Amino acid sequence: MNLGELVFLCISAMVVLGALGAVLSNSLVYAVFFLLLAMGGIGGLYIYLGAPFLAMMQVLIYMGAVGVLLIFAVMLAGPFWKRPKERGPFVKGAVAVAVGGLALVVLLRILGHHHWEVMPPRASTPEEVGRAIMDRFPLAFELVSLLIVASIIAAIMLGVLSRRREG
Amino acid sequence: MTHLWDRPEVFQFLALFLLGSGLVGLIYRRTLLGMLISVELIMNGAGLNLVLADRFFHPTVPTGEVFTLFIMGVAASEVAIALGIVLLLFRRSKGIEPEGLKELKG
Repeated sequence: MNLGELVFLCISAMVVLGALGAVLSNSLVYAVFFLLLAMGGIGGLYIYLGAPFLAMMQVLIYMGAVGVLLIFAVMLAGPFWKRPKERGPFVKGAVAVAVGGLALVVLLRILGHHHWEVMPPRASTPEEVGRAIMDRFPLAFELVSLLIVASIIAAIMLGVLSRRREG
Repeated sequence: MTHLWDRPEVFQFLALFLLGSGLVGLIYRRTLLGMLISVELIMNGAGLNLVLADRFFHPTVPTGEVFTLFIMGVAASEVAIALGIVLLLFRRSKGIEPEGLKELKG
């Protein structure tokens, strides 16, 4: 086993451990940090998939912006001892594991039935990604920016409404 | 000899594992923030799936990467909205568990 495979195995273990911890850990703060671990691992997987620009965006947007927002939300949502317990009753956990495992097994079987024709590896540059956005999907790009503006206005309005009700 | 990262099954399994664990968390968690974290896991799995399809099956134009970027934008705005809603609910009802929210029930 060479160094590249060792790093790949470490990254895959990061993703799996992070996903399990984000779902099963008892405290929300730990869950957010496990989620950040999984997101960093996915960024590494993007590099192995030949998409370095997307790996940078993963670190910037998910680990930076979304992670900070989630940590703020956890901190602002009251002290620990007032919160309800994170995990539900045992029956609910069994149902959850059954649903998740069933989805995993069924989709893996479906994907395994198909014979995939694999192309040779190729890394894409940021220029190609930008050209694909601007040449092929300008409408979707503009719609995403509209959505972000709408969500910013909505977040501000939610803050204003909550303040007015208090005062 | 093919490397481990030259096989699409490995990445497909990881993306599906993210989807499965996100579903487990969505059912198992009792607070809105925990459910939000699980939804983020599912979205990450979807993005990984798009990029692997782009790399292994159609590598000429990076369409999958573009749509993964769109998913990132949608996820960021979703988290912003959800943060506002959770804070509003916390101020009104002093709790973020979805079982206590009965106002919208008919």
